[in-house]
Amino acid sequence: MNLQGLVIQLLSGMSVGMVIFLIAVGLSLIFGTLQVLNLAHASIYMLGAYLCFWISSMLSQVSGSFWWSLLMAPLLVAMFGGFLEVLLLRRIYGREMLDQFLLTFALILIIGDLCKLAWGVEYHTVDTPWPLDKAIIFGGLVFPRYNVFLILSGPLIYVGLWSLIRYTRLGSVVRAVTYNREMANALGVNVPLVYTGVFMLGCWLAGLGGALVAPMSAVMPGMDMVVLIDCFIIVVIGGLGSISGAFLGSMIFGLVTAFGILVAPRLAIAFGFILMIVVLIIRPWGLMGKPER
Amino acid sequence: MKSFFKQRNNGKAVGLLAAFAFFAVLPLFIGEGYISLVNEMLILAVAASGLNLMMGYAGMVSFGPSGLYAVGAYTTALILIYTEIPFGLALIAGPVMAGIISVVVGWFCVRLTHVYFSLLTLAFSQIIHTIIFGWYGFTHGDDGIVDIPVPEFLSSITNYYYFSLIIVCICLALLWMIVNSPFGKTLQALRENPERTEFVGIHIRRYQLAAFVLSGVFLGVAGSLYCGFNKNVFPDFADVMKSTEMLVVCLLGGIYYFLGPAVGSIVYIFLDKTISSFTEYWPLALGLVIIVLLIFMRGGIVGFFSESVAAMKERGRAKQHVSH
Repeated sequence: MNLQGLVIQLLSGMSVGMVIFLIAVGLSLIFGTLQVLNLAHASIYMLGAYLCFWISSMLSQVSGSFWWSLLMAPLLVAMFGGFLEVLLLRRIYGREMLDQFLLTFALILIIGDLCKLAWGVEYHTVDTPWPLDKAIIFGGLVFPRYNVFLILSGPLIYVGLWSLIRYTRLGSVVRAVTYNREMANALGVNVPLVYTGVFMLGCWLAGLGGALVAPMSAVMPGMDMVVLIDCFIIVVIGGLGSISGAFLGSMIFGLVTAFGILVAPRLAIAFGFILMIVVLIIRPWGLMGKPER
Repeated sequence: MKSFFKQRNNGKAVGLLAAFAFFAVLPLFIGEGYISLVNEMLILAVAASGLNLMMGYAGMVSFGPSGLYAVGAYTTALILIYTEIPFGLALIAGPVMAGIISVVVGWFCVRLTHVYFSLLTLAFSQIIHTIIFGWYGFTHGDDGIVDIPVPEFLSSITNYYYFSLIIVCICLALLWMIVNSPFGKTLQALRENPERTEFVGIHIRRYQLAAFVLSGVFLGVAGSLYCGFNKNVFPDFADVMKSTEMLVVCLLGGIYYFLGPAVGSIVYIFLDKTISSFTEYWPLALGLVIIVLLIFMRGGIVGFFSESVAAMKERGRAKQHVSH
C-alpha cells in the first residue's frame, strides 16, 4: 500500500466517521438527558435518508433540490421525533430499562415497515448535488468533493452543538436537567418541555445524518441496523451522554474501520466491537464520560 | 424431585400434567406442518425461559442471548459434520460449550451494571456473530451449515417432536427447581436490592456469574435442539434480531412469572405464522403488539390473566400464607 492509498483511506474513514458522529451524538445527547437508550435512533436516521430522497425527487425540477431537502428532511424528522416523545416515550420514563428497550425496539420495527410501505423495498439513490459532484485532484490524489464536505460539516456541527450546550441559556437549562432533574424542576424549569426539545434535537441530528448520507450510499430498508450498532460502539467508546466523547469516538471508529478493512477485510467489523469491549471493561463510562454518580 | 412437587399445590401439579398430556397426544390430531410449529414453540420456550432466569429473576437485561444460542447450535452442527461423534454427545456438547463461553463472557459482563451490562453482552454476541460469519473455512460463513446428519430414528418430524418434548420438560423442571432453590431466591433478592443483598454477605458477582452461565447453558440446549430440528444452521442465529425476539417473547408472556416465557413463545410463534401468512408486514404488527403490551398489559399475558383471577383467589392465597 502506497502513501496515496493511505491518505485516501484516511479521508474516507473520516468522512464515514463524521456522518456517524451526527447520528451518535444525537443518541448520546438523548441518553444523557432523558436516560433512555433510544434503539430507534438509527431508524430516525433512515427516515431522514428516505425523506431526503423523497423531497429531492419531488423537487427534481427545481435547481438545488438536494439543498432544499437537506433543509427540510431533518426538520420533518425532528417533528416526527417530537410526536413520538409526547405520545409514547413520555409514558416510560422511570420504568425499567427493559421496557425502554422494548418500546424503542418496537419503533424500529414500525418505522422500518412504514418506510417499506411508503417507498418500497428497492434501492433509491440521490444524485450528488452541484457543486460537490466533482472530484478534487491534488498531487495525484483523486477524492470526491462531497466527502470533503462531510469531513468539514462534522466538526462544524460539533462546535455548534458544544457551544449551544456550553454557552447559551438554553444549554445551561439542558445541563441543569441532565444533572438533577428534580432540582431543575423545583427551580421552575419545564422539564417535560426540555425532554421533548432534546429528543427533537437528537432526531434532527439523526435526520441530518440521514440526509447527508443519501447521496453517497443507497437508501434502502435495513440501512438502520448497521448504523445502530456502529452508534453503540461510538457512544460507548466516547462515553454515553458526552458530546465531545461522541466526536472522539466517531473519529476513532471511522479510522479503525477504514484501516481494519486493509488489515483483515472479513473481520473488519469485529475491530469496532473489540474496541468497545476493551473500553467497557477498562473504563465503562467511556473515554470522555464521567463515572456514574 | 420431592421439593418440585411439594412446593406446588395439587391444582398446579394437575395443570402441569394436563399440559404435558396435551402436548404428548397433540401429534395424533394435527398434521406434520403443525407439529413442526409446536416443536419450534417448545424450543423457543427453553431459550426464553433460560434467558428469563437471568433477566426476570436476576434482573440482568442481556442484549446478546442469541450469541450463546448460536454457540450451542453451531457446536452441535460442527461436531456432526466434521466428526463421527454420536448425535447424543454432540447434543450435550452444545450446552457445555455455551456454558464455557458464558463463563468467559459473563466474567467480564457481571463487572458492569445497567445499560453497560446490556451493551457488553451485545458486543460479545456480535463478536460471536462475526466469527461465525467470517470464518468461512470452518463455519461456512453466510452459507450456513446445511443437511446436518441426524440419526435415523430422529429424522421423522413426529419422533423429533417427542424427543424435544422430553428434553424441554426436563429443562423446564430443572429451571423450576433452580428458581425455587435458595440460589433462585438469592437472585431475586439481588434484583430487588443489590446493596442490601451484599450487606447480608452475598458475593453479588459470583451469583450473577452463576445466573449468566446457567442461562447460557439453557440457551445452548435450545440452540442444539434447534440444530437437530432444523438440520441447518445459519449465522443469523447469532444476530441482534434473534436476541430481541427472545426478549420480546419474555415480555409477551411476562418476565415475573415462571411460565411467562413459555406462554410467550407459544403466542409469539402463533402470531408470527398467522400474521405472516396474510401480510408481509409482520414486523409492523409485532411493533404495535409490543407497544400495546407495554402500555396496557405490563405483566404480559400470564401477568394479565393471573391479575384478573387474583381477586377470586385472594382468600385461598391468604390461607396459603398462613399455613406457610
